Amino acid sequence: MLKRSRGRWSWLQASLPVAIVVAVGLLAIAMEPLAAQGYTPREYGDFPVIGSRAAIWIAAQLHLFFAAFVLGVPMFAVVAEAIGIFSSEERYDKLAKEFTRLLLVSYSATAMWGAVLVFGLITLYPGLWGYLSEIFAPSMWVYVGIFFFESFTLYLYYYGWDRWKKGRAKWGHWGLGILLNLWGTAVMLIANSWLTYMMSPPAEVTPDTAPGMVQFWSAFANATWMPINIHRFIANIVFGGAIVGAYAAFRFLSAKTDEERAHYDWMGYIGNFIAISALIVLPFAGYWLGREIYEFNQQMGTTMMGGFMSWLWVVQAFLIGVLFLAGNYYLWVGMGRIPGAERFMPYTKWMLLVLLIGAAVWATPRNMIANRAEITAMGGQFHPFLGVLGVMSAKNTAVNFMILTTFLSFLLYRRANKKAVVSWEKRGTTIQGALFVIAAAVVLFYGVYGYFVPSIVRIGFSVYQVLAVITAIILIVVIDMLMMRGAKSRGEIRWGEMPERSQYALFILAVTFTWLMGLMGFARSGIRQHWHVFEVLRDTSVDAATPALGYASIVISVCVLIFLSMVAFIFWVGGLAEKPVISGVGGGATGSAPAARDQEI
Amino acid sequence: MTNIKILGVMIGTISIYTWIANAIPQIESVVPEELSFSSDVSEAELVAAGGELYNGGAGCTTCHGLETRAPNLLTGYNGEGTIGTRCGTRVPGQDCKAYLHESMMNPMAYVVEGGFDPMVFQARVFSGAQIWALVAFLQDQGGVVTVTGADVAAAAEADAAAPAGGPAVASTDPLEIMRGNLCLACHMLNGEGAELAPPFDGMGSRIEADRIRRGIIDPGAEIAEGFDHLAGSMPLTIPDLLTARQLELLVDFLAGQGG
Repeated sequence: MLKRSRGRWSWLQASLPVAIVVAVGLLAIAMEPLAAQGYTPREYGDFPVIGSRAAIWIAAQLHLFFAAFVLGVPMFAVVAEAIGIFSSEERYDKLAKEFTRLLLVSYSATAMWGAVLVFGLITLYPGLWGYLSEIFAPSMWVYVGIFFFESFTLYLYYYGWDRWKKGRAKWGHWGLGILLNLWGTAVMLIANSWLTYMMSPPAEVTPDTAPGMVQFWSAFANATWMPINIHRFIANIVFGGAIVGAYAAFRFLSAKTDEERAHYDWMGYIGNFIAISALIVLPFAGYWLGREIYEFNQQMGTTMMGGFMSWLWVVQAFLIGVLFLAGNYYLWVGMGRIPGAERFMPYTKWMLLVLLIGAAVWATPRNMIANRAEITAMGGQFHPFLGVLGVMSAKNTAVNFMILTTFLSFLLYRRANKKAVVSWEKRGTTIQGALFVIAAAVVLFYGVYGYFVPSIVRIGFSVYQVLAVITAIILIVVIDMLMMRGAKSRGEIRWGEMPERSQYALFILAVTFTWLMGLMGFARSGIRQHWHVFEVLRDTSVDAATPALGYASIVISVCVLIFLSMVAFIFWVGGLAEKPVISGVGGGATGSAPAARDQEI
Repeated sequence: MTNIKILGVMIGTISIYTWIANAIPQIESVVPEELSFSSDVSEAELVAAGGELYNGGAGCTTCHGLETRAPNLLTGYNGEGTIGTRCGTRVPGQDCKAYLHESMMNPMAYVVEGGFDPMVFQARVFSGAQIWALVAFLQDQGGVVTVTGADVAAAAEADAAAPAGGPAVASTDPLEIMRGNLCLACHMLNGEGAELAPPFDGMGSRIEADRIRRGIIDPGAEIAEGFDHLAGSMPLTIPDLLTARQLELLVDFLAGQGG
């Protein structure tokens, strides 16, 4: 009896997103006859107390938070399932299923906030909505269609997990996971075209161009569309990893048994690994996006980096510093439960020093808008000492050192309980060390040389620095994988024996990623300034001015609080419906088993 | 207790970020104000309006508030004093008012060495009254304000009479047409101009007259090979600033530029 009611609950819960999409679609159809009668909607509506801008901002941001989560998690769920298939280790399969269970309950929230956003646009910004829907109508219907396919693929993927568990059926099930990712990516690409069109409409579109005359594909594949796609694709993985990490931390702290604690300790590690690994790549996607914005419109680029938003990047640097510190701290504390890790512990204080100096340099401002009094107080346009650290040469050097340091933390963590058995172990380790030194030397050389060349030459140096770091990381990982094949174990990882304070680092990571995502959303949207569609459709509402960072930070914080509260509620509700899947990692690896079995990732 | 601790960590983290964002200088991007002056507008009103534009919606301080992108007009540049004190001596024979006005109407004419090219397109967004208010404000930075209500009224009349812009120059000399429309700000011809966009030198040997015409009327339709990164940079207003005769003269002239 109880089982049946749980099933009904699950299907009700699963059907909600589809029902919401149908309702929004019907509303849009119902509005068409009004347009046919020559009815012209008003340009703007009113929202009580907080105003239309804040209302739409909150709805859009919350929809994006949930959307990022439901797009990011399937990516690593399907990878975890694949590891389970290839390694025949059931714990990965169970982990993938648990990821997907989180996904299922988050879909409804994504759809709900999507509906709030659409209703908000229709009622508060009807003029803009009419303009966009006239250009993008075909893609909006395709979007809805793909959403259906995505939802039903998810239902099949999750509810078919135990039925299609073995043999060919398992491969078919994994195929469903891949299909789910393809649908999700397609949905994201379509939605991204709408918002990037607002940032970078094609050159031939002017204020006099009627929306019906705008060429669809040229509007769809606009200048910033692909950079945003790539940036969001990676950021979604980071975000999904961070939220999964926080979920695991919550479960760890409230666990009743050692087995449960061990499982969620392992899950937290995986979440942190995914988040930090993808975070390392994210700045490169950000550089590309920034370059495309500059190439689309230099004024827009200048507004973003050196105009009224210049202080935003100081705050961003602080947040990224926190992410690196929290991610590394979690790893260092985690080494306490790995036999053999003691030999690496003395190095952590030096790595901490590099991270602190790196974060401080990255957060040092240089080209700030300053009034006469501020310039006089500073003794010139730039601070006499800090001004030197504020240039891109110093910042690029700092961030590359932080990336190398974080990678070193992962490497030490990975090797902590392993003893290589290959004959070339010493040579391999020496080569790895040499690769670290060469990469650091290249980064430092171009960092210093950058001060002696014009800025246009200096900008190109960042490419050499990045290439040196990426090449070193790839080569070191390849050597490490070869070197650790069949490695002996120095002892089992004691999953679950993690100090509680480490779990709070995972919460800080999740909160910081979420807040940073809100901040970057403000930057991307704010650089349009008083334009709905940049230099094409002007914002003539009372909220046309773009607010300062202080106001923006309050809206962002409200969004983050609502999001985290809803996530906590959703996960709690999800926990009521079904028991969490415990993989039994604590006893999963025996002392005689190869150490690699403890942590393939 | 655990839940309270988690809540505390989360709210504490969010509060710190919010506090930092509120502790730094708060800069809002305001909408440039539409100005409507009568001919008896006072000097003080013009200066005040220009100051609001300069420090606010016009976005001037984004570059002119620094010394790395463009001269700092309010605090002095290279020891030459504020803009009001040096504008009268920048170009021989040109007074301060004419120099400043020309700098905004035709910015590439006087961009200082190493200056930043967004200034090229900046003036497009201002009305005549806004331009004169900015000139008055800049003159007031150490100099004497000579902008009058008559200047503003004449600019407003010109704006009203020619909302679409009309031809930028009346000449039928292709070179004058190109100079008057700032074509040489990006294209190079016989050593004159900039090497930003495809050069006019040898253009006739690379593309046909029809393609040249299309490039002027609809610059986004076809981008020259190797210049994809400049897509969208060519002003769309050029056809509105040329007469039909000028357009054909330009096309013939450029098609005649052999290798």
